[in-house]
Amino acid sequence: MNAWIIAIVTVIVAPFIGGFLAGIDRRITARLQGRFGPPILQPFYDFFKLLGKSKIAASRLQLMWIYAYLVLMITALLFLVLRLDILLMMFILGFAGVCFALGGFSSKSPYSHLGANRELMQMLAYEPVLLLLALGVYAQNGSFLISQIYASPTPLISRLWPIFIALLVILTIKLRKSPFDLATSHHAHQELIKGIMTEYSGPYYALIELTEWYEIVLLLGIVSLFVANPLWVGIVIALAAYLLELFVDNVTARMTVGWMVRFVWAVGITLCILNLIWFWVFAAIKGVS
Amino acid sequence: MLPYNWMMAVAILLPVVAAVLVYIIRQYHARGVIVILAAIALIVNSILFLLHGKDTFSPANAQMWDMVVTVLDYLILLFYIYVGISLKNWLVLIFALTQIIPLAWFEFGMGGRAALANVSPTFVVDHLAIVMCLVISIVGSLICVFAIRYMYDHEHHLHLEKSRASRFLFWMVLFLGAMNGLVFANNLIYLYFFWEVTTLICFQLIAHDLTKEAIDNAARALWMNSIGGTALIIAMVILFAKGAPLSLDGILSGGVASAVLLLPVALLCFTGMIKAAQLPFQSWLLGAMVAPTPVSALLHSSTMVKAGVYLVLRLAPAYAGTRLSIMIALVGAFTFMAASGLAISQTTGKRVLAYSTIANLGLIIACAGINTPLAITAAILLIIFHAVSKGLLFLCAGTIEHIIWSREIEDMEGLAAKAPLVTVIFAIGVLSMFLPPFGMLLGKWMALESASTIPLAAWLFVIASAATIVFWAKWLGRFLQVLPKLGAKIESLSLSYTVPLWLLVLGIFGVGIGVASVYTGLVQNAVADVVTSGQALAVQGWGLTVNGYSAVSSTANFAVGNYPVWPLFIVFAIAVLIPFIFVAIKPGELRPVYLCGEQAGGTDTDEWYSTADVKTKVQLGGYYFQGVLGEAALNPWTYTLSIVLMVIMFAVALLAMGGAL
Amino acid sequence: MGIIATSRLKSPWIMHFDNSSCNGCDIEVLACLTPLYDIERFGIVNMGNPKHTDVLVVTGPVNRRTARVLKNLYDQIADPKMVIAVGTCSISGGVFHNCYNVLGGVDKVIPVDVYIPGCAARPEAIIDGVVMALQKLAKLQGVAL
Ligand code: SF4
Repeated sequence: MNAWIIAIVTVIVAPFIGGFLAGIDRRITARLQGRFGPPILQPFYDFFKLLGKSKIAASRLQLMWIYAYLVLMITALLFLVLRLDILLMMFILGFAGVCFALGGFSSKSPYSHLGANRELMQMLAYEPVLLLLALGVYAQNGSFLISQIYASPTPLISRLWPIFIALLVILTIKLRKSPFDLATSHHAHQELIKGIMTEYSGPYYALIELTEWYEIVLLLGIVSLFVANPLWVGIVIALAAYLLELFVDNVTARMTVGWMVRFVWAVGITLCILNLIWFWVFAAIKGVS
Repeated sequence: MLPYNWMMAVAILLPVVAAVLVYIIRQYHARGVIVILAAIALIVNSILFLLHGKDTFSPANAQMWDMVVTVLDYLILLFYIYVGISLKNWLVLIFALTQIIPLAWFEFGMGGRAALANVSPTFVVDHLAIVMCLVISIVGSLICVFAIRYMYDHEHHLHLEKSRASRFLFWMVLFLGAMNGLVFANNLIYLYFFWEVTTLICFQLIAHDLTKEAIDNAARALWMNSIGGTALIIAMVILFAKGAPLSLDGILSGGVASAVLLLPVALLCFTGMIKAAQLPFQSWLLGAMVAPTPVSALLHSSTMVKAGVYLVLRLAPAYAGTRLSIMIALVGAFTFMAASGLAISQTTGKRVLAYSTIANLGLIIACAGINTPLAITAAILLIIFHAVSKGLLFLCAGTIEHIIWSREIEDMEGLAAKAPLVTVIFAIGVLSMFLPPFGMLLGKWMALESASTIPLAAWLFVIASAATIVFWAKWLGRFLQVLPKLGAKIESLSLSYTVPLWLLVLGIFGVGIGVASVYTGLVQNAVADVVTSGQALAVQGWGLTVNGYSAVSSTANFAVGNYPVWPLFIVFAIAVLIPFIFVAIKPGELRPVYLCGEQAGGTDTDEWYSTADVKTKVQLGGYYFQGVLGEAALNPWTYTLSIVLMVIMFAVALLAMGGAL
Repeated sequence: MGIIATSRLKSPWIMHFDNSSCNGCDIEVLACLTPLYDIERFGIVNMGNPKHTDVLVVTGPVNRRTARVLKNLYDQIADPKMVIAVGTCSISGGVFHNCYNVLGGVDKVIPVDVYIPGCAARPEAIIDGVVMALQKLAKLQGVAL
């Protein structure tokens, strides 16, 4: 019964947190650019305005996938708060991404198509790191269950800090921040149009915003796992990571897709694998002695 | 229930009889009825095997059957020699000779024949074999039913004067019998015989269309698999020389020190890897794509390649805990990664499917190499799920080919409008290949959770997983890219197409939702046939739980992982099925896509005004990265690395054997 | 409806379309985005896509080539939508009046809600015009701005 209450509370509360963080994002970004910026509640105004617009669409299929995107993102978040299997959570997050890309493919629009292709390239870049993160969790805890991360006395970050750095790189992609805001962007309204989101409008676009809020909470939740005990330290670290991403967003320019894949593989995957090799060697030494 | 010898006869000999009947009776409807009856008989029979459980069997008049097998063995090999000479294909000839000469020398020169005749029992039908038999009989039979109508349309399209469909169905149906024999065989010479029969049938089916390309590719499949046959014979010779029993259960029971057996075991695994088209032997399976699509469906899903992984899996106890096991895992994992990467660059639908098959077989073989109870469970589950999903995908590919008469992915653009029914089925097939909650992902998840003992394999898995997402989603995206049309007409197809398709869809959901029952009722026992220690998976509530089993968690008693099967299916239903049914759109809500305001017409146009007001069609394409991930760019690397891996595999086995002597 | 009506007034996303202006007005529109004027204070975001737009900001006179495009873009905007004509040209054709290719003001093709005169219209005037459009919307909805 307890699990049900946690689940329901999460589903209700998470969007508020996510929307609030998005509002802070816009405010801080404005300040970094020497502007005053919109009110903190601006994302909510946008959301409700979009809900009130008339429904228009380019095809039926694209709408279908956007619901899947939302439901799967919520599911992934529930895996986190109910402390289930982290590897499976990553796969569900991947499924959500695939649904989003398929939505982009489902209309004959060059811009959304471009965005969808790029979204897949982004998945090619970040998916291995997320899965390696799960393997790292196993290497440290001997279990893929998130509940074990909370039960374990040693925080993940003490031994998994290279993977943590890789996760920060991935966070830039997942939050759609420069230099990796390739599939769609919060700023590139002219050159990408809106990338993969081009053909969504009104209430359907609002659904995407809602999903993004869930996603922010989920991603920061993953970051906070690195210091799970005490939880507030983890949350502070997650918020600090978020601020760092905003800063990176404002000081970098968008790079190409190829550069992104090469960079993430070269830096992210290498860091993860070095981290795991270290575990392996460590275990071997312990086994010998 | 039938007596056991009758069940064996139905499994192996009934397909032979049915095949001959199909060949003689050249009338379309009568032929179809025979195929359907044989299919039903095989399916029922395989379920009888399941109910009967584990057993062994030796035919009553063993000497006669031994004689038949020997004669047919040499006839097949002589036929290969004939093929080699008549096609002037020296590789075929060489590898036919490398089989027939050692075989004759072994059987008659060394006196292996007597030893072989002493092997008892001839057939061992354990749970792993029953799982294979179910896969072969159910999925394979459905594919044969599909082929009835498919060949009719195929020949119609080619404007053949004289129908050759009888010949085609003859080999297809015969294949099922040969496969059943293969998975039941315990005596190595029987194993070899059925192995050669599948190679022969494969050759005949690939060459079916008799184009130059078809014959070339068939010959390639023949000589590559002949290398495997040669390795099998060498393995037999070594076993005999070391005084080891010439049967699978003899090898597994470990009558002789296992290190001595490591080289023959490595050879047998090598044979299996060739059949399973592992790198660097993937080209025969890719070449097999020229054949009519039911052949591909049969080769990829339930027969042929599955024989390869079956043998590797079957031998898992013989190399458990050795370095050979690690090498097998790496060969499989490397194939998984390389084939997934290569699949991204493929522009032909069937080649993408082929690479995906190779990749998944690599995953299964890697699981066998990881060799923990969880990994073996994953491998067996993957065999089942892969057979169903891949069977469906190939049948869809065949149907699509007969709708658009093309195999190119770019030509499939907007198929959702032309053939909504097939698109939906195809989409289910694709989703079931790489996404939760379906079985393939469950298998991949288990493989990753078990891979911690061989970290390198786990890393290869991870990269392969990412590539898998890209190539499947990319392909599916091409299908969905449609102009909005309301009330699209659902295409009408022959029942011979739709019945197998729907049954396989049902199968995907059935084995997916009921995976807990499949596990407890079927796979658990099969796993116990391969690994004895511990049970890695437990059915708990609505899901599956992975128990702690490895060194890392030996002190703790918590679960390692958890896969909530039913909740995930409920999520899938809410996320995909319900929107698919209920999301509606009114005509007034449709707007054309954004083309900078230059679209030339309403919602149903994909044209825009280009320079000088010329109407231009919007052309969209996928990313293929042929420069980076194309075969030309990657193959030098993949071939080199995979050959190195294979060499190390044998070196490891040789060293172990040398150490033991 | 309350929260949606208020939100509409607080989040007008604009799209800027240039018919055939001299680019003077366009520069002024873009100037609104700069830190000096910072229209994002009012929740205004410059979108590049009619599907995400609430307010269509048009500069320059309509000519025979752009009339079709303007109409297409307008049709792709979801309701409720407002149109602002920025600059003398977009009101009447301005200095391009009576050119062989010029049809005239924007209201020849699509309905216009707010006209912002000036050659070029100043950023303050443009911001004022957007606020006027919002006031008009507020009046239509019966809510206070
Ligand atoms: S109104 Fe003046 S500044 Fe604006 S477009 Fe016309 S001519 Fe240029």
